[in-house]
Amino acid sequence: MSAPQNSRETASSLLFLSPFLILFSVFLLFPILYSLYLSFYDSSQGFGLTNLRWVGLSNYFQILGIHWEGGAWKFNDPAFWWSLAVTFLYGGLSIPLGIAAALFLALLLNNKLYGKSFFRSAFFLPNILDMLVVGVIWTLIYAPKYGALAQISSAILGPEQFFNKVGPLASPYTALPAIVFAMVLKGAGFGMVLFLAALQNIPEAVYEAADIDGATKTQQFWYITLPLLQPIIFFMVITGIIGSLNAFTEIYAMTAGGPQIVIGEETLGSTSVAGYYLYKQFEGGRFGYAAAISYVLLAITLGITWIQQRFFAGDKR
Amino acid sequence: MNTQTVQAEPQTPAAQGGSPLRVVIFVTLFVAMIALCVGICGQLYKFLTMVAAAFAARGGDPAKAGEVMKNMAWMVDALTAATALALASITIRRWIATHAEQRAAFLRTFFLYLCLTAGVVVVLFPFFWMLCTSFKPAGTELLINTANPFDIVPAEPTITNFKKVLKLDAAPVSAEASQAVVDPVEAKKNFGTYFMNSLVVATLAAFLVTLFASMGGYVFAKKELPYKQQLFGVLMATMMIPGMMYMVPQFFMVCSMGLFGTKLAMILPHLASVFGIFMLKQFMETIPSSLIEAARIDGASEWQIFRVVIIPLAMPIILTLFLLTFLSHWSNFLWQLIVTDFENPLSITLPVGLALFRGQYTSDLGLIMSASCFSIVPIVILFLFAQRYFIEGMTQGAVKE
Repeated sequence: MSAPQNSRETASSLLFLSPFLILFSVFLLFPILYSLYLSFYDSSQGFGLTNLRWVGLSNYFQILGIHWEGGAWKFNDPAFWWSLAVTFLYGGLSIPLGIAAALFLALLLNNKLYGKSFFRSAFFLPNILDMLVVGVIWTLIYAPKYGALAQISSAILGPEQFFNKVGPLASPYTALPAIVFAMVLKGAGFGMVLFLAALQNIPEAVYEAADIDGATKTQQFWYITLPLLQPIIFFMVITGIIGSLNAFTEIYAMTAGGPQIVIGEETLGSTSVAGYYLYKQFEGGRFGYAAAISYVLLAITLGITWIQQRFFAGDKR
Repeated sequence: MNTQTVQAEPQTPAAQGGSPLRVVIFVTLFVAMIALCVGICGQLYKFLTMVAAAFAARGGDPAKAGEVMKNMAWMVDALTAATALALASITIRRWIATHAEQRAAFLRTFFLYLCLTAGVVVVLFPFFWMLCTSFKPAGTELLINTANPFDIVPAEPTITNFKKVLKLDAAPVSAEASQAVVDPVEAKKNFGTYFMNSLVVATLAAFLVTLFASMGGYVFAKKELPYKQQLFGVLMATMMIPGMMYMVPQFFMVCSMGLFGTKLAMILPHLASVFGIFMLKQFMETIPSSLIEAARIDGASEWQIFRVVIIPLAMPIILTLFLLTFLSHWSNFLWQLIVTDFENPLSITLPVGLALFRGQYTSDLGLIMSASCFSIVPIVILFLFAQRYFIEGMTQGAVKE
């Protein structure tokens, strides 16, 4: 290809790419630096975009630091560390349960069945529905007295019980598991479709060979099916971790970070995950602080990804 | 007969069917399933009559609606009974006619269907409940009320809730009521407006994202550009960044552009879809380059090649991206909440509107449920028509990674 033709090709490529590239640099690349810049400022003087004061690294010290007080080391911002703990608890509950539910449904559907596509679609459907609306509906299901769960449980157990008097979302010990349950039911269909596709790719001959060797169905599951599904499980763990670090809407819709729980001297929100805590800082007008938190969360995400990449690369070899 | 079976298949003792415990289990399950079927059929047909009655009531004649319900009542009973009988006779005949190992296989299938049906009921119950409750008149929203011991499907469906949610119940009862409705901004704060806002935002965003991603994907798949691979690497790297990260800086940017509270603010920061580029690049790489060469020799311009050759061939994947982007903007709550100007009804989208609405009517089941319908029902209908695109599109990216 001659040189002028080559530069024409480059020009037309750039022209095709330009709308995307401009939007990408302005709204996806630039904000990363802008966010870093903002994280060195403090806006707690009063709500306003122009009311920024240079504070250097002090936002980061406030988030991550500890200080000596009353004969013990204390976190500068215990609510942030607590929100990280809640996030990991949320992920630790929802990821294994989500994988188990998806795998269970996939194993059920991986049989000769009439109406297979109906079941597949029915389980998949809640995935695409609006998270906030689903959260609101589940709040009504969990609500004491008038909620569906309270009504059904009162019919069976009588009115003097937990679901009717308190409701799962009002107790600090059950609020997070209740959210996890709703989200697992919403998301199970997605993993199910992934698992189902992978299960159908496993050749029948593998199982026949195992049958001849005298392996039981349970052994076949643990030693054949599960190892072959490992990439899917790995994928679901990664997306699950990113999902729990980004979790916000379900918390906003169902508990708004509450109910409060007292640990030591601190009163903390029992479902206040990191994403929700970040939003609360933002909502309170502490923009610089929120930007600094988002940088800390980015570092955690990248750290987890790095560990997984290493772990996964080692696994491949 | 039984012993023969055992000898023939010694590894599977579960295959023999005759033990008393098994029979007891089977009978119990069988009765439970019949009860379940009767219940489901009953509720389903009640639901159908409800729809019929709602159609009849549209003419404004509630007496006629009651009549329709009454006329259909015997049909409901007859159909339920027939279904139950048919199921029972089919099951019993099969049970008697089959061999022991086939009985075991049958039991297995039976368990399978039982589990799956129970799963579907649990997963879809919230939405069924939502739909039914939204049609219930005030005071009977509870599952267990004085009028009916177990009431999911409304006995006397009304559309009052929808009228209230759309602020169409403007019949001035008192002077204060008519005063309240006069405020045009307040009157515009209804779910009809929110629905249109969401529709505009999601459609416009989906169209632009798809257009820009197709153009970009075409470059990455088929065209020459210096440092193309490195650029693609940068794009992929940004996919790692959690979305929460962008909340603060994008908000500042949108505000300094003076876009706060506009629909453009909801769309603009999300127009560059790296996922879309990735998806379209993957697909467009499978289009043979000879087609492009042929078009070029025929004298087509670059834009003509893109429009006439690439777009039609990539249509399925473009449609998928369109649907997925539409969906993500339909339910992008956090960002829309942040940039919404609550004084301006034209900037309130469905999820934000619902969050606002719930603050006012905390425990009014009927109203909240009918408000939820505006977001859920259109997507369910869309899913029924385009489920292949949704399921394949959403899972495809995962499998390839």
